[in-house]
Amino acid sequence: MTFISLQEVSYTYNGRKEAAVKNVSLSIAEREKISLTGLNGSGKSTLAKLILGLLKPQTGKIVLDGLPLGKYSLAKIGEKVGYVVQNPSQMLFNTSVFNEIAFGLKWKGKGKDEIFHFCKKYLEFFELWHLRDELPFNLSEGQKQLVVICAVLALQPRFLILDEPTKSIDTFRKKRLIDILQEIWHLGTGVMVISHDMEFLTAFDGRRIHMEKGEVVEDAGRYQN
Amino acid sequence: MQVDIRTKLLIVAIFSALALVYQNPLILGIILLLNLLTVILFRVPLQIFREFKGFIYMYAVLMVIQSFFVRDGEPLLQLGNIYLLTTDGVLYGISIMLRFFILACSGIILLNCNTSELILALVKLRIPYEIVFMIQVGIRFIPVFMGELQNIFHGIQLRGVDLRRVYKRKVLKVYVSIFSPVIYSVLQKAEKLSILLELRGFRKSPARTYYRDISLSRIDYVVMTLSLIVTVALIYAVRNL
Repeated sequence: MTFISLQEVSYTYNGRKEAAVKNVSLSIAEREKISLTGLNGSGKSTLAKLILGLLKPQTGKIVLDGLPLGKYSLAKIGEKVGYVVQNPSQMLFNTSVFNEIAFGLKWKGKGKDEIFHFCKKYLEFFELWHLRDELPFNLSEGQKQLVVICAVLALQPRFLILDEPTKSIDTFRKKRLIDILQEIWHLGTGVMVISHDMEFLTAFDGRRIHMEKGEVVEDAGRYQN
Repeated sequence: MQVDIRTKLLIVAIFSALALVYQNPLILGIILLLNLLTVILFRVPLQIFREFKGFIYMYAVLMVIQSFFVRDGEPLLQLGNIYLLTTDGVLYGISIMLRFFILACSGIILLNCNTSELILALVKLRIPYEIVFMIQVGIRFIPVFMGELQNIFHGIQLRGVDLRRVYKRKVLKVYVSIFSPVIYSVLQKAEKLSILLELRGFRKSPARTYYRDISLSRIDYVVMTLSLIVTVALIYAVRNL
């Protein structure tokens, strides 16, 4: 079943002549693994932001889970689609690593035990549990990235978009990240990874979509679940 | 009309000072009109006024609040012997709103100025370079912090928090989450900037040269003189009202 559908979507940033995303049509199933690749400035992150409703397409239509994207509030989109941005500092706003992961769970109304369980589970998985009381802003870029990944994973979205998730993380944690992405995919979550890291994408083994100058120039077809 | 940035600074200073000196809504209305004419004359993109839409509501609320605190004049709304709203109160509220508009519109005059020219103009006005540099840094970082603020807003909402539906008692908590990272980022950027400045020998030598140069032309002198004449005439006319 199609979860995200883009129909002839285009977007041009203010003051730019060239469209960042040009007439992109895509159909993404609920439990799909996607590797989105392309050179810098090819429109990958813009496409992700369009799917998340952070940018509004000037032409075309985006449908999420059967409804036009405009019908959802950003919070409702966030409940369905988890997003890990390229720059993790943009998504850190709590006073401790633990609270950063607990933030969304508290707002979801989860109980104390459940919050503790999720925080511990993901922080231990990435071997970050010892940093739970640290101020997130003081962590290294890689650690910040992992904390944001943990915070988004803990919310258990139906679809996950990760923009350059391996940019600053070490080989050991990269392996861990692949493991957990495969695990959540097996459990039914769709995953889209935007990356230049071909080694990571090969291990991830998703439907490969390649973008050039805002257009989808290669789509390896829907992944067989 | 192409004029030197110092001419524009003089006009901004005149409008801002007049807005603060006068309280009569009629006079403030005339000043606002002159201000708008100047904005058009300096070919400032008028699309900027679209941004005012958000402020109009705020100004209107402010006007109503202000008007309730003035007790003089004829009562328009009263509860027993207590005057809730008076004619003077309404006029005072309108004055406040007009003042805000004049201050905002006079700032708009500087909108199509080059930041480097503004900095150079301030230096030529003999403002200490350290202060000018602080202004430059402030201007440079405003869009960065606005962007960061927006990212945090998006980040919070994408974690499933609908900011429009947050309970009143939790609003403060959410806003602490929004502003604390931005304040932290400001402090972090300030620290990094100070280190970078030291490394590049900021103020090591008292002599500083500038690649660009600005100079006052005949049109600047004409505009400055005209501005001063109009200002004096306005002050004189108001005195004799």
